[in-house]
Amino acid sequence: MAPAAPWLIDRGDLVAALDRASTRQVTIISAPAGSGKTSLLRAWAGRPGHRVAVVQVQRGQQDDQEFWLAVLDAISQGPRAATPDFNAKATVDQVLSELAGGVTLIIDDLHELNSPEALAQLTRLLTNLPPQAHAILTMRHDVRLRLHQLRLAGELAEIRAADLRFSERETRDLLDAAGITLSASGAALLHQRTEGWAAGLRLAALSLAGHPDPERFVAEFSGNDRTVAEYLIAEMLERRPPDVQDLLVRTSLLDRVNGELADLLTGRPGSEGTLLELEDANAFVVSLDPERTWFRYHHLFSDLLRLQLRATLPEEVPVLHRRAAEWFIAHGQVVEAIRHTREAGDWVDAARLLADHAFSLTLDGRAQTMQALVRDFPKGADHPELALVRAMGDLEQGRLDQAAAQLALAEAHVQATPPERRRRLQVAVASLTLSLARRRGQLAGVIEQAGFLASGQFDGDIALGSDLRAVALMNLGTAEAWTLGLPAAPDAERHLREGAALARQIGRPYLEVGCLAQLGFASLVLQSFAETQRRCREAIALAERYGWGTEPVIAPALIMLAATLIWTGEFDEGEQWLQRTRQALRTDTGPDITLLLHQTAGLLHAGRGRHQEALEEFGVAEHLGSQLEDSPALATRTTRWLLATQARLGMVGEARALLATLDDERAGSGEIRNAFAVIRLAEGEPAAALAAVAEVLDGTALVFGDVTVIEAHLLAGLAHHELGNRRAANQAAEQALALAESDRLVLPFAITGSRELLEALPRHETAHAALLTEILDSLHGAPPPAKESSSLPPTAELSPGELRVLRYLPTNLSRHEIAGQLYVSPNTISTHLRNIYAKLQVRDRSSAVRRARELRLLAAGRRTK
Amino acid sequence: MCLMDPMPARYAIRIRGHLGATVLTAFPALESRRRGADTVLTGLLDRSALYGVLAEIEALGLELIEVRRL
Repeated sequence: MAPAAPWLIDRGDLVAALDRASTRQVTIISAPAGSGKTSLLRAWAGRPGHRVAVVQVQRGQQDDQEFWLAVLDAISQGPRAATPDFNAKATVDQVLSELAGGVTLIIDDLHELNSPEALAQLTRLLTNLPPQAHAILTMRHDVRLRLHQLRLAGELAEIRAADLRFSERETRDLLDAAGITLSASGAALLHQRTEGWAAGLRLAALSLAGHPDPERFVAEFSGNDRTVAEYLIAEMLERRPPDVQDLLVRTSLLDRVNGELADLLTGRPGSEGTLLELEDANAFVVSLDPERTWFRYHHLFSDLLRLQLRATLPEEVPVLHRRAAEWFIAHGQVVEAIRHTREAGDWVDAARLLADHAFSLTLDGRAQTMQALVRDFPKGADHPELALVRAMGDLEQGRLDQAAAQLALAEAHVQATPPERRRRLQVAVASLTLSLARRRGQLAGVIEQAGFLASGQFDGDIALGSDLRAVALMNLGTAEAWTLGLPAAPDAERHLREGAALARQIGRPYLEVGCLAQLGFASLVLQSFAETQRRCREAIALAERYGWGTEPVIAPALIMLAATLIWTGEFDEGEQWLQRTRQALRTDTGPDITLLLHQTAGLLHAGRGRHQEALEEFGVAEHLGSQLEDSPALATRTTRWLLATQARLGMVGEARALLATLDDERAGSGEIRNAFAVIRLAEGEPAAALAAVAEVLDGTALVFGDVTVIEAHLLAGLAHHELGNRRAANQAAEQALALAESDRLVLPFAITGSRELLEALPRHETAHAALLTEILDSLHGAPPPAKESSSLPPTAELSPGELRVLRYLPTNLSRHEIAGQLYVSPNTISTHLRNIYAKLQVRDRSSAVRRARELRLLAAGRRTK
Repeated sequence: MCLMDPMPARYAIRIRGHLGATVLTAFPALESRRRGADTVLTGLLDRSALYGVLAEIEALGLELIEVRRL
């Protein structure tokens, strides 16, 4: 806040009153326009020793997100960006923690906050302020905040109009300070006529300064029955040069003005100088930035000027609005442009602007303002352009049927659109159609129709096209990723990469996080588990920088990270990420990812041998899968786990009944064949189990990935074991280990219950002794590694070669045998061992293993390959 | 209880001081008469129009003395 003396005089009593009030947690300054609320705040906050954060509520603010981001920006620095799925609660929690340092939060013009959501969260903020924090709110009329508990606790102070009123002595001081000579009776008359109203006194002082006959001015004023504000503003204006009057009247229709805009509306140069002079003269013009380029007029003042504009230059009003709209659109300020276009009465143009900028506005976090603008359109008039905007609102609110209906209207309108805008509209409709299809889990056919999104040029201005194109790439890549199929995977990767790069280039972190999260999710089809984990962690790190670590946008990366950790046997860390995913999915973001959440939770239980809990999760997943019409991949995966879990729990009848409902295509898939093998094993028919997995092992059955083949080998091994064929069982186990080696997959061994099978495998017969030991450790429930490695003494980084040797230490292989498996000489192994012991600060092999576990050097996800 | 009274009613709204021509343009739907040092605005208003008028009075810094349904 500007440190300038805003009243010209020192109103020490009033400032002291605010000082007293502000020892309470919340102070409300509620008084009519022009009472001097803001001036009081400036005088109070301008003194040293206050840590204040000032938020000026925008006129008619309807976006809770814009409001809360302004609050955060006032309190602290940090990378922040608007998001289409704003989490008000989390943001308010962040504000609360930032305030804990003892900051006083000042919110000016709270009556302008026109968002019930924001007011509800503000009530929560005010009733939960940390002990050292304070809040001061100014408003023209009492705002509905539920603060009675604070009032009862004596933590609410109020300063009202009567407190703000100038006393007669203060009136005289004010006149003296302004260099106005007025008799004592004249000063008393002025005080009486204005009733100590701050704005009235300031206006009078402006007219009195340099007035040839101040006594006459006061006498005429007090003898006149006109309202104080109107009389004084008219008087003050008349005393300004005509071009200044003209500037004030013409620019009054702007919420904020700069020199360039004022030049444009007056048709004269030099407006910036005039605005600066007016502010210096204390004439109800206030600069909004330290550089003094933007100004706003006192609301009361501008409202009266607007009336004058309409009364004196009615035919100019729409022309001025149009000029302002053009300026705002050229400067990328879309909401203002739309408002002025509407005020000009150009509803068709306003609708077109809304449709063209709908994606950008959503990304800017202005969705609520956008929908409010749509609601303001006159009823009955048909504006097909708005269907697109309405569809976005419906989609955001989860009204999927209405969204579909609006999208159909928008699509029907595409052909009637002029060619230069047709493509843009097409892209927007296709992009939303993809998004809707995903929410419904109906992807079949949609991607083919939307394929054109990936190619293509965008006409019109670059920034507008870039937002739209980045959203289109994200939605297309996401839809492709969620088909979970090999054919679409390269496209998904390419489109999401392009989308992320474009988003970064145009400064849209939300889209970048969205693309990277989906990319992490999509990775597993083509990439290793380690690469998938790396991508997921990268996306999560970027999301966390913006405070979106538990937001829906990052959920795909969270769930995939949890899943890959569980597959590699890191159950505890996987469980933590699973919990984060649950938080991120508290709002509905579609059935498919919720299904994946339950499926992964089931896998975690199954991996820990808790089949009953696993059964419940798989049951929920199966139910969700039945609602997905076109995601056979996801549904089949779930069914397979449910079947196998039922069989493992001895519920063979239920499993067979479910199996009977599957069509041939699904029943013939490798996943379901494996599940059938589990059923047959449970029925005591190992030979039949072998027959069931035969087609998986010889490559005839379709499989989604190696994990299915690993599982098939293990089931075959278990069957051979039952049949007493030791050699075949060992071979099967060894083949499973070979396939699991590169990704170090532990889960298939845990889920299939292959411990005995692995324990029977002679160590000297396997080429995968290290992995074997890791798996057995995991199946035995080895003590979890220490969570906080920082509590341990620092350790020199092990080289990749040393890490490779380290993995063999838990096995009972000798140095010669390790050398054989790694194709190096025993001397090399000895050198590595010496270095490992030195770096880990241990003396022998068993303490090296213990230490390596504590440091998580033996955990699969952390290792370089 | 009728929460959404759809029928407009005649209201008299008394404001302190004489409203000038400029300020009166803010109330195009109302008729104004001077009553001593005050101004009385009368007109047919439904509920949302009434609250719109009251908001306008607040925005213009006018002093509201009385609102009466006729």
